Amino acid sequence: MVLENQDNRNLWEKIGDFFSANSIWMKWYCTGCGAIELPPTMTSRFDMERLGMGPMATPRQADVLLITGYLSSKTLRRVIYSYEQMQDPKYIVAFGSCTINGGIYYDSYATINQLDKYIPVDLYIAGCMPRPEGIMNAFADLITMIKKGQANGWRHYQENYEWYKQNQLDSLKEVIIHDEFHE
Amino acid sequence: MMNSMNNIIKQIDDVLTITNSEIITNRQFAIDINSGDVHQSLAYLKSIGFTQLSILTCIDLIANNEFQLIYILNNWELGLFVIVRTIIPRDNPAFVTIINIFPGAKYYEREVHEFFGVTFEGNDSYSKPLLLEIWDDIPPLRKDFDPQVYSDSKFPKRDLDKIYRSKIGGVD
Repeated sequence: MVLENQDNRNLWEKIGDFFSANSIWMKWYCTGCGAIELPPTMTSRFDMERLGMGPMATPRQADVLLITGYLSSKTLRRVIYSYEQMQDPKYIVAFGSCTINGGIYYDSYATINQLDKYIPVDLYIAGCMPRPEGIMNAFADLITMIKKGQANGWRHYQENYEWYKQNQLDSLKEVIIHDEFHE
Repeated sequence: MMNSMNNIIKQIDDVLTITNSEIITNRQFAIDINSGDVHQSLAYLKSIGFTQLSILTCIDLIANNEFQLIYILNNWELGLFVIVRTIIPRDNPAFVTIINIFPGAKYYEREVHEFFGVTFEGNDSYSKPLLLEIWDDIPPLRKDFDPQVYSDSKFPKRDLDKIYRSKIGGVD
């Protein structure tokens, strides 16, 4: 399924996109080794805040969800849970070859192979793992996409909710989290 | 170091019935024990200073139709590890819990049950899921479980025009 790119925003949406592109709060879900590339990206060496991106502690206040690496079927439930908590507009950036095709654990009994079957990914960063330069480049691309109104994965998720839900249920059986420590 | 380890092995050999012992490194040695003697052996080892259960795990010896349970104990004073190994049958694998000797084994036993299907009598929570959620196949670390088949049936794959594979050791 391809995310379509036509621009049919009204004036207010354009203004909204302009402002949200310039102040992006991101929440990263540290599932894999990709999380280790983020501290240098955030701190003084590469300093992502000069692009207008900052870290955010909770999904409800974040704009971008970063999926930094492998997702097992267990963590995918938590990712879907976090993603659905986020406020619109929301964007997903997926890191590394593992979110694209499963990476080196393509035949594992626990890791998923293709993330965009389950949640709408706006931007993939290829690499194993992508270096901070690649991440900065992807952030710049994401900002351009938001300004042009092309990062509309969240709208795609709303419009094709049944399709996504069916894929989630096919792979996970149940998206609701049963956790012995919270029951 | 070697000397104190040989002394310990001799001391253990005098008290316990060991079928085989093996020195692995200068800080590690392994002893094979019949499954009936495991509990008294672990209690004895704990009493002579091997107070920490580092791990309890399992090996699937499918060729012999057996599981091997591995208990690794650590002696902090001597800096020694002892690997206690025992064999249990692979069909309907069942063993008795050691949580009254090492209470922390509760979670290891849950893990072994989840990944190998070994049941532990006396541990009330051994059958609770620990790492896997909603598992619907044979335990995944058994040798007769095929992860590729499971992954293909469960997780959709991306259609790629061409798949590049690197050659490792001359094999595709």
